[in-house]
Amino acid sequence: MVMQLTAKQSIHLPRTAELIRVEKLSDREKVFEFKFDDGKELGQKPGQFVEVSIFGVGEAPISVTSSPTHKGSFELAVRATGGVTNKLHTLDKGAKVGIRGPYGNGFPLDTLKGKDILFVAGGIGLFPLRSLINYVMDKRSDFGEVNTLFGCRSPQERLFIGQLAEWDKSKDMCFLETVDRVPDDEWKGNVGVITTLFPKISFDPKKTYAIVVGPPIMYRFVIAECLKKGLADDHIIMSLERRMKCGVGKCGHCQINGLYCCQEGPVFTYAQVKSLKEAV
Amino acid sequence: MQNRVISRKDLASFVDDLIKTKSAGEVIGIKAQGNKFNFGPLASAAELRLDYDISLLPPKKYFFPQTETVLKYEVGKTPKVEAVAAEKPLCIIGVHPFDIRGLLLFDAVYGGKEPDPNYFLKRNKAIIIGVDCLSPNPKSFAASMGTNITEEGFDLMLTDLGGDYFVTVGTNKGHNLINKAKTREAGAPDLEKRDKVRKEAEKKYQVSLKMKKEEIPALLDATWESKLFKDRSETCFSCGSCVMVCPTCVCFDVQDEMALSLKGGERYRRWDGCMLTEFASVASGENFREHKEQRFRHRMYRKGKYLVERYKYLGCVGCGRCASACLAEIASPAETYNLLKEAK
Amino acid sequence: MKPRVAFFDFTGCEGCQLEVLNFNLEIVDLIGAVDIVEFREASSDHSDDYDIAFIEGSQTTDRDVERVQKIREKAKILVALGACSCTGGVNALKNRFSMEENLKVVYGDSAKLYSTIPTRPTSAYVKVDVQIHGCPPNRNEVISLVKCLLTGKKFEQCHNPVCVECKLAENICAFERGEFCLGPITRGGCNAVCVTGGRKCWGCRALVDEPNVNSEKEILKKYGLTMDDMMLQFKLFNGALEVSK
Ligand SMILES: Cc1cc2nc3c(=O)[nH]c(=O)nc-3n(C[C@H](O)[C@H](O)[C@H](O)COP(=O)(O)OP(=O)(O)OC[C@H]3O[C@@H](n4cnc5c(N)ncnc54)[C@H](O)[C@@H]3O)c2cc1C
Ligand code: SF4
Ligand code: SF4
Ligand code: SF4
Ligand code: SF4
Ligand code: SF4
Ligand code: FES
Repeated sequence: MVMQLTAKQSIHLPRTAELIRVEKLSDREKVFEFKFDDGKELGQKPGQFVEVSIFGVGEAPISVTSSPTHKGSFELAVRATGGVTNKLHTLDKGAKVGIRGPYGNGFPLDTLKGKDILFVAGGIGLFPLRSLINYVMDKRSDFGEVNTLFGCRSPQERLFIGQLAEWDKSKDMCFLETVDRVPDDEWKGNVGVITTLFPKISFDPKKTYAIVVGPPIMYRFVIAECLKKGLADDHIIMSLERRMKCGVGKCGHCQINGLYCCQEGPVFTYAQVKSLKEAV
Repeated sequence: MQNRVISRKDLASFVDDLIKTKSAGEVIGIKAQGNKFNFGPLASAAELRLDYDISLLPPKKYFFPQTETVLKYEVGKTPKVEAVAAEKPLCIIGVHPFDIRGLLLFDAVYGGKEPDPNYFLKRNKAIIIGVDCLSPNPKSFAASMGTNITEEGFDLMLTDLGGDYFVTVGTNKGHNLINKAKTREAGAPDLEKRDKVRKEAEKKYQVSLKMKKEEIPALLDATWESKLFKDRSETCFSCGSCVMVCPTCVCFDVQDEMALSLKGGERYRRWDGCMLTEFASVASGENFREHKEQRFRHRMYRKGKYLVERYKYLGCVGCGRCASACLAEIASPAETYNLLKEAK
Repeated sequence: MKPRVAFFDFTGCEGCQLEVLNFNLEIVDLIGAVDIVEFREASSDHSDDYDIAFIEGSQTTDRDVERVQKIREKAKILVALGACSCTGGVNALKNRFSMEENLKVVYGDSAKLYSTIPTRPTSAYVKVDVQIHGCPPNRNEVISLVKCLLTGKKFEQCHNPVCVECKLAENICAFERGEFCLGPITRGGCNAVCVTGGRKCWGCRALVDEPNVNSEKEILKKYGLTMDDMMLQFKLFNGALEVSK
């Protein structure tokens, strides 16, 4: 097998990008806006991710949180958890990072077009989901009814607060949120896990696709709720997380049974996930 | 392309010539290492041990080295990044058919939509001179996997006929190469002899699958819940030896290392494997294959089902290296599949 | 300001100290980004400030314990360097004999005048931020740690057993030579130097995260060796650690 290749086509080689804005979201999360040095667009689909490099530290897969309808730059929202993400949190405007990607399949826009949508985000699951919510809001006429549910552990952990308020006011979607527990009494909103919001909304299961992103344990409960509401297996769509070292189907780390999360995923339908013993 | 026959003596001078002229690149060959065998640079044809069973590490190490720098960079206000991948012409002598099949799987994994230059820049230039395995390792089951013989993936394939070697010519490159040696045209009796030698070798395999290899995926489909995975992995060290020595294990880790000046550094990749505890763990603390039985089962599924479904090439070529390396004596896919079938 | 690095000697063996001297030279020469302040005398401990304290050797007297506690108060990052500090090392061998017996052996009849406490790893007395295992510790690992501390990268110790690096080094397994080896249950990160050098792994870098000690015992049996053989070897370096029986 002969394949004419040069080092420049290295699967490991990132493009450099400049940090043009940093904004604190909560104690552990910040959103970063980047622009490629070569002036090109990232060209992502909602739900795709990039590999962010901090040279000398390493790489980490991060979902693009901005919508492709936003041009000229892109945003990554990041929780500080380890080597790369902690270092990212110390960077100021003007800093340079490496970006590879976009990778992964992204949300199935063709399937979703013209359909009703139920967004369910738990905690930082909002980061990947936000790219699609913003996309849908920017192309609102392409989609039917939109319901959005967001849950996090405490009022302090709410993310993109300004945007949550916008969605709350918007006539284009029904937005509900809840927190698991309340350490102070300033919070006037819902309290309880995210599934407690389900009785408060109504949708037509035939026309609706649920897009669910959150921590592993949330999936089990939310999927059960979706099924109860009459959604078919292939109308439930989720985004899964795995360890990743390459993003291009080589390193083997992201395998879920026979599938590669970085190739066939990170977005899967529940119909797929059901047959994958290792998925949730 | 006409097959040839070459005498032992002429083969030796052919190899010595390759070493001297470097006309086919650096010459690598199978050599003795202690009471084992391994691939290494060849100083003379006399070092060649074409009668070997298995090498400590498979020849994949020449295209996918244990540790390999993939990027070099300078840090600072405007970081400079450069990909590192270089051509290296090699001529590897003494590759067994099952290891050639392993390389074909590698080609599929490292090719695809996003081919890997680090692999192909080395692989494309390489000349593979294979040799049929006539004294199989006691743990090998290549015959059951249909990988004791290969019709593709080599430039030349040698078969020891006793006095002479049969040379099966696989490519034009191989044809041009062997043309430089003193050989004679292979006739029908030679071919017959080659096939007889191969048939006899096939009988020497001590481990065999108690099913057709095509039945493995279905067997695994039916045995996910089997207790055997837990029982058999009880003694597993999670030491990773089985995946490190495997000719079809493709996985790697990526790490950064700063130079002492702290002005720059490099990113390198290094062999990694699913039997190691951290392979599927993420920063949030979740480990998607936390228990050794899950890791053990995953490897068995990789070898018997996932890889063949994904790439059409077998995920296990039956070389027996894992079984030889495993101190707990549990790593052999063939043994595990046989036990699964029995338990069913 | 350059980070200030200090090395503190406690009870250790020669090998470790030699290795540390080498580190110093290499780090000073090549990085030039840290200030090395080395303390030999306990009294000078508070005379200066330091960011990173390397504790080398184990604490064997009450005075040692006090000293290491003082160092902990000052240091931003405290590193246990080498088997002695990480696990008790060879010093911990004396745990296997009674204290009185030890004193008698060492000091003869004047034993009553001295006191000695069981050897325990540094982490038994103070919080240890990073462990650099090994006897002697692997130089590259120390350099790697200093680099991490300087660049703000998280230092990860190796999670794999020695066997991984041993395979990468293309060694013939010690078991195949009829010797027994602690590699399968010992934390890697040393490039399996001992096996590469023709010997076997003695377990100087302590246990991996999930050691399968039972399995090691089984294999020993297969090779005609007993648990005592293994325990003796293992305790040589990990005396203060509890290995499940
Ligand atoms: C498809 C995908 C999208 C993600 N999107 C986001 C996001 O939008 N925002 C966010 O904050 N986090 C996201 N994560 C999680 C994020 O990748 C990890 O938190 C991050 O890799 C931790 O890296 P680290 O170097 O800081 O941590 P360390 O603990 O130092 O991790 C070391 C290395 O291990 C690997 N690794 C560790 N954890 C993970 C993980 N969870 N997933 C994949 N690889 C891992 C990485 O290669 C990482 O660099 C996403 C993960 C995936 C798989
Ligand atoms: S799994 Fe074992 S027998 Fe199969 S190819 Fe790999 S090392 Fe050889
Ligand atoms: S068996 Fe494990 S280590 Fe080997 S290629 Fe498959 S996932 Fe990777
Ligand atoms: S199966 Fe054997 S070789 Fe593989 S990790 Fe377990 S003990 Fe090690
Ligand atoms: S020699 Fe020791 S460390 Fe090396 S593979 Fe064998 S058991 Fe493991
Ligand atoms: S091989 Fe074993 S004894 Fe030798 S340095 Fe490594 S851990 Fe220590
Ligand atoms: S991240 Fe490497 S294979 Fe998916």
